[in-house]
Amino acid sequence: MCASKASDYRITGKYEMESPALIVGWIDDVSKIGERTLDYLIAGTGCQPCAEVLPEGFFPMAGVSVEDDVAQFPECMFYGSSQHNLLVFKSSIPRSDWFRFLTAVLNVAEKFGVREVFTMGAMVSAAAHTMPRVLVGVVNDSEMKKSLEPYNVMTAADFQTPSGQKPAFSSYLSWVARQRYVDVVNLWVPVPFYLVPVADPRASKRLIYFFNDRYKLGLDFTSIDEEISIQNRKISELYRASPEIEAFVRRLETGGELETEQSEKLVQEVSEYLKK
Amino acid sequence: MSIRYIRKVELSDPVMVACWPGIGNIGLIAVDMLRRSLRAEELAYIEPWDFYYPNRVIIRNGELKEMGFPGSEFFFAHTPTCDIIFFTGDEQPAEGGKVYAEGGKAYAMANMVLDVAEKYRCRRIYTSGAAVAPIHHTSRSRVWAVPNMVGLLGEVKSYDNTVLMSEIEGRGGQGNITGLNGLLLGVARRRGVEAVCFMGEIPVYLQGFPFAYPKGSRSVLEVLTAALGISINMDEINHLAEENEKELTSLYERLPAEIRMQLDRLRQATVATQGSGEVITEEDKKKILEDIDKFFKRGSDG
Repeated sequence: MCASKASDYRITGKYEMESPALIVGWIDDVSKIGERTLDYLIAGTGCQPCAEVLPEGFFPMAGVSVEDDVAQFPECMFYGSSQHNLLVFKSSIPRSDWFRFLTAVLNVAEKFGVREVFTMGAMVSAAAHTMPRVLVGVVNDSEMKKSLEPYNVMTAADFQTPSGQKPAFSSYLSWVARQRYVDVVNLWVPVPFYLVPVADPRASKRLIYFFNDRYKLGLDFTSIDEEISIQNRKISELYRASPEIEAFVRRLETGGELETEQSEKLVQEVSEYLKK
Repeated sequence: MSIRYIRKVELSDPVMVACWPGIGNIGLIAVDMLRRSLRAEELAYIEPWDFYYPNRVIIRNGELKEMGFPGSEFFFAHTPTCDIIFFTGDEQPAEGGKVYAEGGKAYAMANMVLDVAEKYRCRRIYTSGAAVAPIHHTSRSRVWAVPNMVGLLGEVKSYDNTVLMSEIEGRGGQGNITGLNGLLLGVARRRGVEAVCFMGEIPVYLQGFPFAYPKGSRSVLEVLTAALGISINMDEINHLAEENEKELTSLYERLPAEIRMQLDRLRQATVATQGSGEVITEEDKKKILEDIDKFFKRGSDG
């Protein structure tokens, strides 16, 4: 396999870390779960930028996208915290040269002496938002399963890519890392389909809770709990305005299914209301 | 980027037959059928990770077990007239969501395929693809032959049912072969290796559909086997082509009368252009495609 070039990344900060853990999240993934969770972790741990994978060659430099009236640019940044012995990688998913990109990520991880890697992603779920969020873990080495036992992570999933779909980028990272004998766990959290266009703070909390517990980060959950409360309150308001929406959610809570049109209406009304 | 050899073989004065997917999968079906008919054996493969995003992951009991990638494989076969190296790619190494390869990766892959050809001293490369033409699906597909050296023109023209670009009405010998089935010709030329691309005709109104067009593949297979001096059992491709024509005819009969009338003009045009004059213009072709497009959009709307 071809290694990435040293010029594919840049290390900008030096930290006293001893075999840190690396937590990876992708910008713009389903429900922006990785991005939101990492923002919370970075703020809560005081992680600072320490390295980056350079965008040239991985992203088309043919202009910029504009989101919410603001021009965007790919970000592939590592943040570190000596205090918590933690490294975080928050990144856009490259548009080409994926293998070289992942090799660069793992080269940076190697420079910092990373001992284990966790990635985060969302699974679109047909369950209601009020249901508890289970955490599903997929390891690239069965030995890792034992270390997940104390954290209530399900590690018995079976999956095969359906025809016409492509594997998740986190899975690709896990596979590339396995060739280098680096342990990776892909963490997946369910997000109700009608929260995918907005946000699911409960799902983020489940992930943050896991990292807080595993790495003894001592995080304050006040702001994420507040986000959950605000979302609950808004959805209750929506129930009052639209009993039909409440009926849809109640049906999902009891394991029932919705017709396609009903699901579409639920997605549209919830996302419109929560974005207000 | 590297080529992994699975076994060592001695090949005598071989040729190479290479193909990637394209419109109607015309070339790939022909090459794959020839490879299977000759019971070609695995020879080597190109490592995929620098060219492709994976296409499959298998997770069992919470553990990532396998990651699959589109294949780029070499095979070899001995035949009474020549030894053959086959190369087939599952996908073109395209970037930015494009279907056809272009740029650095395409060039790198073309060179890797030619590295294998040169290692075994292949005297010629054949590639194959589709030629979008104003023909009717009931007509026999011709095979457009494009060599990469002037000296090969006479030979490729001598095969039954082939035409050169200069013989295609309105082209004046000009045209493009998109993607790696074409690029390989150019890179071979640059490296001084003879190469020929055989392109089976596909009706212009089928070019945008994700269907195979085995009738075009059959024409390519006929020409390819003639060029290689071998014969194979054609029952399978004949069966596929006949079934495909039946399906297309059934679909055709469900088209509105005005569109069918337009397409029937292609039936006439095919006869005329394969004989002498020009009966269908670029304007006509555009109108036909617009009508077909409207019809299917209407269908998908409800």
